[in-house]
Amino acid sequence: MLAQRGNPTGCTEEKAAVVQCRQLTKTYQKLLPGSKKAVCALRDVSLSVHKGQIIGLIGPNGAGKSTLLNLIAGLILPTDGAVTVCGHPARSVQARHGLGYMPEHSAFIGGYSAKATLRYHAALLGLSRDAVATQTDESIERLHMDEFAHRPCADFSQGMKQRLALAIAIMNHPQVLLLDEPSNGLDPIGIVQLRDLLKELRDSGTTIIISSHRLGELERLTGDYLFMHRGQVISFGDKIMTSQAGKLCVDLVSGGNEIARKLLPASKVLSVTDTELVIGLGDPREVPDIVCDLAKGGARITGVLMQSENIEEVFLRLCNERT
Amino acid sequence: MRAYELIKETFFRGSYIWIVHVAWLTIYGVYWWLFLPEQPEYGKFVFTWGGFLLPLALSAGILGDDIASGRICVLVTKPFWWGEIYIYRLLGLSLQGAVNLILAAVLAIALHTLTRRGSVEGIGPWLLATWLLFNATAALSTSLSVIVRRTYNSLLLLVVIASGYFIVSMLMGYMGPQAPKGVFVSFVKYFWPPFELLFKFANGDYGKFSLTVGKYSVPKDIACVVHSLTLTVVYSVAGIVLLTRRQFSRERD
Repeated sequence: MLAQRGNPTGCTEEKAAVVQCRQLTKTYQKLLPGSKKAVCALRDVSLSVHKGQIIGLIGPNGAGKSTLLNLIAGLILPTDGAVTVCGHPARSVQARHGLGYMPEHSAFIGGYSAKATLRYHAALLGLSRDAVATQTDESIERLHMDEFAHRPCADFSQGMKQRLALAIAIMNHPQVLLLDEPSNGLDPIGIVQLRDLLKELRDSGTTIIISSHRLGELERLTGDYLFMHRGQVISFGDKIMTSQAGKLCVDLVSGGNEIARKLLPASKVLSVTDTELVIGLGDPREVPDIVCDLAKGGARITGVLMQSENIEEVFLRLCNERT
Repeated sequence: MRAYELIKETFFRGSYIWIVHVAWLTIYGVYWWLFLPEQPEYGKFVFTWGGFLLPLALSAGILGDDIASGRICVLVTKPFWWGEIYIYRLLGLSLQGAVNLILAAVLAIALHTLTRRGSVEGIGPWLLATWLLFNATAALSTSLSVIVRRTYNSLLLLVVIASGYFIVSMLMGYMGPQAPKGVFVSFVKYFWPPFELLFKFANGDYGKFSLTVGKYSVPKDIACVVHSLTLTVVYSVAGIVLLTRRQFSRERD
């Protein structure tokens, strides 16, 4: 399991965690006199992320996703709590050795080409002249940037900027990769390439935390999610997906209403007509028992279809539960 | 490699940097050609433009632009001490100042040699004083750029320093040379970029005077240079402390 709420437990788990957050709270103080009270962007968040995991950070706008990423990246300081990256306090030079970060809005020196920008960032990593050249060429090839490697960044489209930002983030093989809306502005080919690249990085042991509103894309990458709402972690891990497995559509010859009333608790029935029953599922393992009970109760079943809840539906359900 | 890239960046961070350089040399050349300056007119001109206005123009948004655009967010996740960003950018500015002043001197000497007009006498001390003032002003402006968004660091500094000196000259004007040296006047004189001290240094006003503190005595010229360098270091340390303690974020989502 990737995340915990409240106090993290288990010493072994703490040791293995690549990113560890303990009771993180972040409050933004309003500096101007007369402005409204401080905004609590993150409240008592604890989590552990392990090597080789991809975590999807999801939640509505203002949930605290970027704040959490910024805290892990060391860009901001927590009001309370602590973050460690690769066993070192976030913001320390040691922690930043294993970190790659891609912000939502990337900015570059307009006069620099993609190649010059990559060279610049490789140099900031403290690499030797040869290593800088190798890393630069490798990144250009990996992110398919050959076509625009020599064009100035000022002329870049959003998709080109995203590729360049991602190339900068994955330079020198970081242990932890923090991505804020990485697929923004990418064309379908770019999205597929991004997905393949992230899977490749995961397989090589890189821990990836992605904040994204593109839930369909996230679903193809991972089953591990961190759902945030108003600065708190509401649901985490694959529990999101198993908390409500979906729904079961049962086609009947007739008598749907009567069967539903007689055999099923009202809370389980999502909709009912004379010839169709839609039943909410808490766990897919319930299906054989439900079908068996319905048949024993006299239902003449002509078809059964189980529909799993996708991440988008889970997201909407979790949001609706909280509003 | 890191130092090289961070210094190089100060030259290429915006096309307006090159416009500033070309504008400065053009203004300088035109001034020389039209007014055929003798000392100290020449000194006043190069001192004010090169020591104060040039660093303000070159350091506009030197960190504030990156902070406002969010570019700094990627820089500060790289594994090095954040103070290096400040130090190398200031070094880059200082280099730009030195190159510009050397070019200005070459231009003046060339024009003087070719036309036998104007004067290049005492050009060395003036250029040294200008470069020292350039460094102090650039350090103050860079430090301000850590906390002031975009290019407003230079504008703010221009307004504050101009106002400060205006108030001081008003006080002196009303109360005469016997005016008591209040805290404000002393503050402006010793803690702001050392215009007056460096001007006197370059103009040769100190002659062979010495500054005596207790049993130690140093020529005032040297004391003036040390004072200027100390101020540059103090401004820089303040900027580095601000930068390393700063938080960087564009979104609160």
